[in-house]
Amino acid sequence: MIRSLDDFSRIAQEKGPKKLAVLAPEDEDFMLAVKTSWQKGYIEPVLIGNTEKMQRVAEKVEFDIGGFEKIIGDERQAIADLGLNMLFSGKIAIVSKGQIPTSYIYRSIIREENKAGSGMTVSVVTFWEVPGLDHLIAFTDTGVSIKPDMKTKAEIIKNALFVYRLMGYPKPRIAVLSGQREIGGTLSSYRDFELLRQAAATGDFGECEIVDGTSFTELFLGGRSRVPDYRGVNREDIPHILLVPCLDTGNIICKLDFFLDVTRCSLVATSRGPVCIPSRSDTSDNIVEQLAMCVVVVDRMTGEVS
Amino acid sequence: MLKSFNGIIEAAKSGSIKRLVIPAATMMDMQPLGKAAGAELIIPCLVGGGKAIEDMIEETPLKSLPHEIIDEKDPNKALNTAIKYIREGRADILMQGSVNHQTLMDAVMDAKNGLRKGKLMSYISVFQLPKPEKLILVTDTFINNSPSLAEKQFILEHALRLTGILGIDAPKVAALAAIEQINLNIPSTLDAAILSKMSERKQFGKAIVEGPLDIDCALSKAAAARKGLRSAVTGNVDIYLVPEVDTGHLLAEALVFFGKMETAGAIMGTTNPVIMNLPFVSEENRFVEIAIASLRCGKGGDGA
Repeated sequence: MIRSLDDFSRIAQEKGPKKLAVLAPEDEDFMLAVKTSWQKGYIEPVLIGNTEKMQRVAEKVEFDIGGFEKIIGDERQAIADLGLNMLFSGKIAIVSKGQIPTSYIYRSIIREENKAGSGMTVSVVTFWEVPGLDHLIAFTDTGVSIKPDMKTKAEIIKNALFVYRLMGYPKPRIAVLSGQREIGGTLSSYRDFELLRQAAATGDFGECEIVDGTSFTELFLGGRSRVPDYRGVNREDIPHILLVPCLDTGNIICKLDFFLDVTRCSLVATSRGPVCIPSRSDTSDNIVEQLAMCVVVVDRMTGEVS
Repeated sequence: MLKSFNGIIEAAKSGSIKRLVIPAATMMDMQPLGKAAGAELIIPCLVGGGKAIEDMIEETPLKSLPHEIIDEKDPNKALNTAIKYIREGRADILMQGSVNHQTLMDAVMDAKNGLRKGKLMSYISVFQLPKPEKLILVTDTFINNSPSLAEKQFILEHALRLTGILGIDAPKVAALAAIEQINLNIPSTLDAAILSKMSERKQFGKAIVEGPLDIDCALSKAAAARKGLRSAVTGNVDIYLVPEVDTGHLLAEALVFFGKMETAGAIMGTTNPVIMNLPFVSEENRFVEIAIASLRCGKGGDGA
């Protein structure tokens, strides 16, 4: 079982390098992450973008990119399309976003999924490593669906379950989060919780459990109204997957790593392999961790489970 | 400027003693009431069955401190009696007691006999940051499900009123959304941009509202700079205005449970302070809520 980001890094070193299409690595932080990931043996980069810009940032981070395959491209959507096409045609194993708007990447993924007829909904899974927790927790969808309906949420759950099962958990526990309180009537997010829980109980998502709690108070306090010291609560009871109500909630909470003692790592799982979509505010170290995670996920997707 | 919960308590101590009325109090209310009475912030007025209340406080510090028991044997009438005391000027602060949230809200919001002032009520979660020592406000974390832009304006004005009471001059506001760019398909980004524009035109006084801001830009000046965003607000936010209650409630809880942060809350939009009993506010910090309420007394209510 993968319990920490260190586990991802260790396994990525064992299972790498994987061929990675790097889309417009024209920023120093990002190029430094590519350099570090290559040095650690995670990846073998294929660099797609403006040659001059890539060369310039590579020199700044003292990375000799002379020996790597390069594909010249300037137009952002065309670069995204090319990278995702390479992933879906099996030429490369992973795609990573550089200096390209995330929406372009999502558009390319959706096109390729449609062409492949996979029916897969695009969603982002963001892992948190929380000190004191014995497992990573996965927030989803933190990047794509603005206000998913119940049907879309079901697909988002399936994507997250797919990733979490690859990590060695046969029966992940899921919380469907909601801001439901004792006042203000029933929120749509709470109605979705009730429907999704019923769906899980009838086996719609395979082996998994949707827990009976939609708020962190319920998840941490186990339904109790108040405990004298909630810091003593056993945090190992926290579910593996936390489905957020909407994009605003997901993005705002998952990036609390800028504030809290947690480490964040995100990916998009497509039907053909992971796509790394670092935020423009992410540091180089953070991007390296995300690439390690993608290496492990693709390795396990192809059946080479360690 | 108050920077900590201790600072709030000390400031409240320098004011006059307030009368706090609480319907159907339970043992869990005794600790904060006892501490606040001991600090001479309040004189608790406990509404309920007189003998039962006397028995309850027998073994608590309240027994030897000034307090009043308002005999009301019918538990269904205790809340209305408490509110009547406030409306008649015989008490200053209402505390929830054991009545449930919806019952409390219905009674407080009642147009004829309640305590509502202005167009809406909102809830502010106040957090204490250790380094640098600072108070931050997150709103609305409890009351309004999906506020419209106009309602967000009121919610923001409530928060500005509270920052004024806390002595935060020219507060910096992050109007939060999923992303820092305006996306016509994401309503929160539009609302945030409009509030930001209103701030530019000084419609919120000295407050600076920046939006839309995603949380990384709000929390970190460096992260914002990496996205090409430079503002006095990034990395130095006093008020986090959230898009809706799913986000607000879960954000407040995440800060408490994952961040181990101390929090206290305040209901805004009432003639007198009302203290709600939320499970993620520790008993210790319910004392802070009484101190905040005490500071707000005599300010003419805070309705928008």
